[in-house]
Amino acid sequence: MSRPTVLEMRGIVKQFPGVLANDDVSFDLARGEVHALLGENGAGKSTLMNILYGLYKPDAGEILVSGKSVSFSSAKDAIDSGLGMVHQHFMLIPVMTVAENIVLATEPTRRGVILDYDTARARVRELALQFGFAIDPDAKIEEISVGQQQRVEILKALYRRADILILDEPTAVLTPQEATELFGILKGLQREGMSIIFISHKLNEVLEIADRITVLRRGRKIDTVPREGATEEGLARMMVGREVLLRVDKPPATPGEVVLELDDVHVRDDRGIEQVSGVSLQVRAGEIVGIAGVDGNGQTELIEAITGLLKRESGRILVEGREMSTNASPLAMLEAGVGHIPEDRHRYGLILDFTLAENAALHDFRYPPDSRFGWLRPKVLVERTRRLIEEFDVRGGNPQTKARNLSGGNQQKLVAAREVDRDPRVLVAAQPTRGLDVGAIEYLHRRLVEERDAGRAILLVSLELEEVLSLSDRILVMYEGRIVAEHATGVTEEEIGVEMLGGQREAVA
Amino acid sequence: MTAMAEPLGAAVVTPKRVGVVGFIAGMLAFWVALPPIHARSIVVPVILAALAVAAGVYAVRGGSVRVGWSAIVLGFIGLGLGYLATRSSVGNLEIVFTWSTLIASMLVFATPLMFASLGGIFSERSGVINIGLEGMMLMGAFWGIWGADKTGNWITGVLVGMAAGGLLGLLHAFFSVHLRADQIIGGTAINLMAIGITGYAFVQLYGTENIPAGVSEIPRLQLSFLDRIPPDTVGNFLYGAFGRLSVMIWIGFLFVIIAHFVMFKTPLGLRLRSTGEHPRAADTVGISVYAMRYFGVTLSGVLAAAGGAFLSVGVISSFNENMTAGRGFIALAAVIAGNWRPFGSLFFACLFGFSTALAFRLGDAYRDSVAGLDVLAQMLPYVLTLIIVAGVIGKSMPPASVGRPYTKQ
Amino acid sequence: MTDAPTDRPPPERGEPTTTAGKLRLKQKAGGIIPPILTAIFAFFIGGLVILASGANPFDAYAGILEGAGINWFWDHFGNTDVLDLSTFNLTQTLLRTTTFALTGLAVAFAFRCGLFNIGGQGQYTMGVVVGVWVGAYWSDALPAGIHVVVGIVLAGLAGALWAGIAGILKATVGAHEVITTIMLNWIAFWFASYCFGQGGPLQNTRAGSESVPISDSVYDNGVFIPILWGDEGLQALHYGIFLAVAALIAFYLVINRTTLGYEVRAVGFNPEAAAYGGISVKKNFFLAMAISGLFAGLAAAVDIFGWKYTAGTLDVQASAVGFVGIAVALLGRSTAIGVGLAAFIFGALDYGTTRGLDPEVFDPTLAGNLSLMIQGLVVLFVGADLLILYLWSLRRKRFASPRMSGKGA
Repeated sequence: MSRPTVLEMRGIVKQFPGVLANDDVSFDLARGEVHALLGENGAGKSTLMNILYGLYKPDAGEILVSGKSVSFSSAKDAIDSGLGMVHQHFMLIPVMTVAENIVLATEPTRRGVILDYDTARARVRELALQFGFAIDPDAKIEEISVGQQQRVEILKALYRRADILILDEPTAVLTPQEATELFGILKGLQREGMSIIFISHKLNEVLEIADRITVLRRGRKIDTVPREGATEEGLARMMVGREVLLRVDKPPATPGEVVLELDDVHVRDDRGIEQVSGVSLQVRAGEIVGIAGVDGNGQTELIEAITGLLKRESGRILVEGREMSTNASPLAMLEAGVGHIPEDRHRYGLILDFTLAENAALHDFRYPPDSRFGWLRPKVLVERTRRLIEEFDVRGGNPQTKARNLSGGNQQKLVAAREVDRDPRVLVAAQPTRGLDVGAIEYLHRRLVEERDAGRAILLVSLELEEVLSLSDRILVMYEGRIVAEHATGVTEEEIGVEMLGGQREAVA
Repeated sequence: MTAMAEPLGAAVVTPKRVGVVGFIAGMLAFWVALPPIHARSIVVPVILAALAVAAGVYAVRGGSVRVGWSAIVLGFIGLGLGYLATRSSVGNLEIVFTWSTLIASMLVFATPLMFASLGGIFSERSGVINIGLEGMMLMGAFWGIWGADKTGNWITGVLVGMAAGGLLGLLHAFFSVHLRADQIIGGTAINLMAIGITGYAFVQLYGTENIPAGVSEIPRLQLSFLDRIPPDTVGNFLYGAFGRLSVMIWIGFLFVIIAHFVMFKTPLGLRLRSTGEHPRAADTVGISVYAMRYFGVTLSGVLAAAGGAFLSVGVISSFNENMTAGRGFIALAAVIAGNWRPFGSLFFACLFGFSTALAFRLGDAYRDSVAGLDVLAQMLPYVLTLIIVAGVIGKSMPPASVGRPYTKQ
Repeated sequence: MTDAPTDRPPPERGEPTTTAGKLRLKQKAGGIIPPILTAIFAFFIGGLVILASGANPFDAYAGILEGAGINWFWDHFGNTDVLDLSTFNLTQTLLRTTTFALTGLAVAFAFRCGLFNIGGQGQYTMGVVVGVWVGAYWSDALPAGIHVVVGIVLAGLAGALWAGIAGILKATVGAHEVITTIMLNWIAFWFASYCFGQGGPLQNTRAGSESVPISDSVYDNGVFIPILWGDEGLQALHYGIFLAVAALIAFYLVINRTTLGYEVRAVGFNPEAAAYGGISVKKNFFLAMAISGLFAGLAAAVDIFGWKYTAGTLDVQASAVGFVGIAVALLGRSTAIGVGLAAFIFGALDYGTTRGLDPEVFDPTLAGNLSLMIQGLVVLFVGADLLILYLWSLRRKRFASPRMSGKGA
């Protein structure tokens, strides 16, 4: 297959403080191909693409576009050379309209001074039609769905006449169905001659869409392979460097009595919009109940209501049969026996500028033995922290170290340690392994199963469908604030994917 | 809570609209006791106030909480003030509420705020909090009158003042954008330094004497034709209010219009706003976030200084140490209350200006009856700002990335 | 929640978002060096300004040092006779150190909770009003010792209350404390001017002084803090300095050793994590402001009962101790020892550039403004040296770059 090479990166090196993000990476892209960049978090994929797009400067190496050496000092240069990028966190301005976002920095004007919005609107419509999208140029970004926002991002690149499109983890925020639609769009673009780079850490997607796959690991390129002949196991091994347990081995659960019960719970978010519309569920001791769903369907608000961070509108929450009041504070819920591994540990779980000992005491500092009559007792805090560090294999510091000096995985271990150590009746784990390396993920998964076997009730909420499928004894699917389905183990991703979209759309062939 | 009106009327009589009616009624409760209506009986304010409170309660129960509560509060305030007004002598009321002079006064006090808040809008819309408006204003005040004194011309004086403010703005930009220092601390530093610099220079350059008299003043724009508009009362009023305003007040209005146009109708404005909302997004389409922010912040210094120059060159033709007296912060409150829009903050600048004008007039009128009232009345603009900040701030929607330094890789 | 792709752009993971967080982040890495560097740099720039105005910086600074009595340490060590000039100067410096330590704590405590208390001046002023009222206008039914204590306590509470208003507004409607405290400053300014002014409730009752806007003297009422070091006829250092020291110690203990301090620090670093840990952010906002105000009120108390004894509109309007407190807290990095040392530096600067300065060497009015400029520079550089530290620490230790943790490289 000899398609002309439209882009080449040779020997790219990029060093960040303490981390070598790209270590002599080389990569090429042929015209009209979909080339996937595969790797774990921290492998260097985004860095490489940010360098390509002119957002970072490489410490060494060169970039060639259509055979000519180029040097981008800003995104604008990259855009001028025909590159377009759809970022993982969209580069869209929520309060502005679709048209404004698309024409930003290349606005059509009347008499050179006045912004010609009508022309902008017309051009956006034209473009959308040409590529088969349905988009309202006057809608504000904050009003449209995530899938549509992504299309606006793509349109932005097309508007600037990109012929190389870079997509950074585009399916992170889509349901399986929306992902399939996206792939359809990409194939369409491919037919029009677009060359596409697709960054992902999801093996199944990569195998579905890519013509060639380049695997990065810890900043180095491991190999580039064509899709024919590539397997999930093979790719995983390249990504991680060893055999990886794609599913956790666990004995079947033996559930006991109901520890946490929700009955027709309704929750509004802080803007007053109802996000949880009548959820009822039960979690028993000794079982893991997992909630699957696309981001934004009420999972966050549900968890915040259970842990007391948000007041619920109506409905009952019972912990061990005891009904909790609607105004129960986080403290009250903690004391009732609800433990919480929060999904954003930097926002909720840890105070980075506190020491490990101080962090470990976050829930208990106001009681004996941690303090007496308002006076803290540092020795007690340090002792307990030492024990937790040992038990949970938290590496990178001692009780006096500041939390921010630990790696993400160790920080999360500390949070989990603190929560589990309090011996909660029910443990609510929200995205517990987000942003962690495989080692830490494996550890936490194993630990959760251990806790389950020890008789704890665990409620798991995760956006990683694989994590939910692999850990849960029972799976609930949440869509638009309601539980729309319940499964025992053995269900497939596709089935759940449909339910995650409300079961109203059929899988696109 | 409950839909109290039947379907047909419901569309017209919404709780929010009722609340607005109550709001107006509350204001009327006070206003009817004033010239020119001069209602002397307490009954009229009572009725209007009751109407306001009732409407407010209806609005609150219908879900329109903020409007409803404002109406209720205003009803009580209007009642109280209306009572005071009916008790007060007609003569005193006349002195205070000569509306034409009040309006003219209001515009004089509002103008420095107008300029400074336009500056605040440009700075914050580009993503940088500017607490230093006060200091920039003060620089404009001193260097403006110094410039007018030295060159004998008010125009160059004001320009010098604006340049001085621009320099301070540049400094703030440097610390906030390049060094990514905390913007609030930086702004406070700017204020402290401005007091020091202007005080130092004032003593150094003028010694123990003051600015000499006869410095070139900003001329007023005579609009005599207003006086000739029939009927007589209207003509008098219009002329008294608008007929003899300083040129710079009109320039201020002009700037508001230009600012609105630039901000919302030009590509420059779109790009500026994008750097304040989502700098990384702006960066990725090739907009220089640094350049935009430098522009916004420096411009804010220039505009705030213009406001300060108006104070010294246009109003008192002199300089006092720390003469801005917190106006820079009131301007900031006007920015926030006005939702970062030029016309919005114009409204609030006028509101604050009105309270200052009222304070002075109250002092004049009641000086003999209540000792020290003229001093106490000076609190009015600050109390008003406090109330508005408390009432409005909670729900305001600033530019999404304001205050967060941007790191360009 | 994973920031939905178009939520507010997320802060770089792990980077502190509060002022307190940023300040603390860099403090440990440098220890005592950055504050010293900051001070040196600020003084250096001050020296340039002196040079620009035609005087010799070294002479000027030497004059300031002498004026502050610093030369007592090497020339006259051990001399307690206050008639010796340098000893006297030192007592005056210590007098101001006392005040600045307390106003510095007023800002520092709030900083630890992530709040910027610029209202120290207003809180101080309210403390003055209440202190004078209790000290001079309450009858001597109470024995003198108790009377003084009551006066000190009530003055402190006045400051606490005044700051508490801003704290409540922040806690309930989220009003930014910078704007509210500044408004409260000006409201206090005018309120006090009213009280001590013509016909005001606290104006003096001495025959023949009806036109002087000053209060009665607490000293004449027998209510004052005893002298520690100095002559009663001249201004002398009083026992209040022990109160300041006690306050510094109390500050340290509360912040570092109590559950209240734990909560305050937690809220200061990460309000969301604190809330999740069961800490009431609102309660702590209020408490932090109130305690800060308490310190400022105590500063007023030691001044009134220690050496000023009276208060007048001119004093109130010219006072800037609250603002010096800001520079003190920032230079001292909001720690007890830091605030103490910084208070001494600024106390020396304050006295050495005004009363103590030999006019032959350098004009005191100029020097006073110079000191203001230096304060401003110190505040400015605190913001900047954070970045210098940042760059320095990047080279020295393995610094987990925000880009690496969790965002997917």
